[in-house]
Amino acid sequence: MLVTARLRPPDRTVEVPDAHRVADLLAHLEVLPTTVLVIRDGALLTSQDELHDGDKVEVRFAISGGSGSGSGGDGRGGG
Amino acid sequence: MRCKRCRGPIVIEVRRHNAAFCRDCFLHYVGQQVTRAIAKHRMLAPTDRVVVAVSGGKDSLALWDLLLELGYQADGLYLGLGIGGYSERSREVCRDFAAARGARLVVHDLAVEQGYTIPRAAGKHGRSSCGVCGLSKRYVFNRAALEGGYDVVATGHNLDDEAAVLFGNTLRWDTAAMARQFPVLEATRPGLVKKVKPLYRVAERETAAYCVLKGIDYVIEECPLVAGNTQMRFKETLNQMEEASPGTKHNFLFGYLDRAAELLRVADDADLAECSRCGMVTVAPGDPAEEAVCAFCRSRARLVGEAARVATALPLVEREGAAAR
Repeated sequence: MLVTARLRPPDRTVEVPDAHRVADLLAHLEVLPTTVLVIRDGALLTSQDELHDGDKVEVRFAISGGSGSGSGGDGRGGG
Repeated sequence: MRCKRCRGPIVIEVRRHNAAFCRDCFLHYVGQQVTRAIAKHRMLAPTDRVVVAVSGGKDSLALWDLLLELGYQADGLYLGLGIGGYSERSREVCRDFAAARGARLVVHDLAVEQGYTIPRAAGKHGRSSCGVCGLSKRYVFNRAALEGGYDVVATGHNLDDEAAVLFGNTLRWDTAAMARQFPVLEATRPGLVKKVKPLYRVAERETAAYCVLKGIDYVIEECPLVAGNTQMRFKETLNQMEEASPGTKHNFLFGYLDRAAELLRVADDADLAECSRCGMVTVAPGDPAEEAVCAFCRSRARLVGEAARVATALPLVEREGAAAR
């Protein structure tokens, strides 16, 4: 069996053989399950959900860095 | 595994709580965490005018959505950072979000108002792009909120963000920074707007899941300037530990907030003063004879030259949409 996984960001596609469950897929990709969402046809999958030959899934990284989405914790106006 | 709340089929596991949820119960759980955060720290009053600092990413849009759903008067505030197509897409996503909900989006722009962009600032004078970006956002959000008559600025910092920042501060024993790392920062003097982080109880993966389950279109791509960012490295380390021992990040952050934060807050006795250039609040210089100049004005002077040493007022680039009230 073969599952096509679209990983992003950054965007790339990988074909993974013999991934019968989401947990197998993530193990093959060496991705920590708590850092991604796995999505098939718009629906979230859990680590124990089964995968089927020909499935196309998205592995979306949910961890972002940067300066934060606003105040970095400093209560002052100009830092 | 069945939903912890209704025993139905699950869509997500929350390992640190040894729980799993169906769609509706997960959305309920996230709303409950935010409601609990707001109540515990008295973040928002029902009549407060709230402005949500939005970047187009999952956290800030999830927060805006949650606050609107909870009935708060919440506008969005977007700051254009000049990061090419990434900034343009981010702004479009925020616009679409606001339009779909009849919410108001206020837009400011660094290049138009302050004369520089983050890519231009990156690498100059030894400051990282994330450092300049964070400083610029803190300054503009506070000032724009003051000038816009808002009571509170809400930011989308989540549990992972807060744990990573605490981790970095702890590694350096930066007690002054730790003392200011709290889910709510009151407006302790004129010139400061109250800041709140209603998502501090919600993990980063959960805000992403919230957006997917609610059909919120957010910018998935990572900021092109973030590569090698220190906070990302801290997150990777914490996530490795979390994988082996679920709840590590939660315990680290909440242990600090419950048992140590108050001690450090008492010890944080930094004197504040008015910036001689822009009039905003800053740390008073050690030598009283020295001119008090805020970090933003100093940074901006280095970037655009001393000729433009006074930070300009913030002309509104645009204000879109009717308020959702």
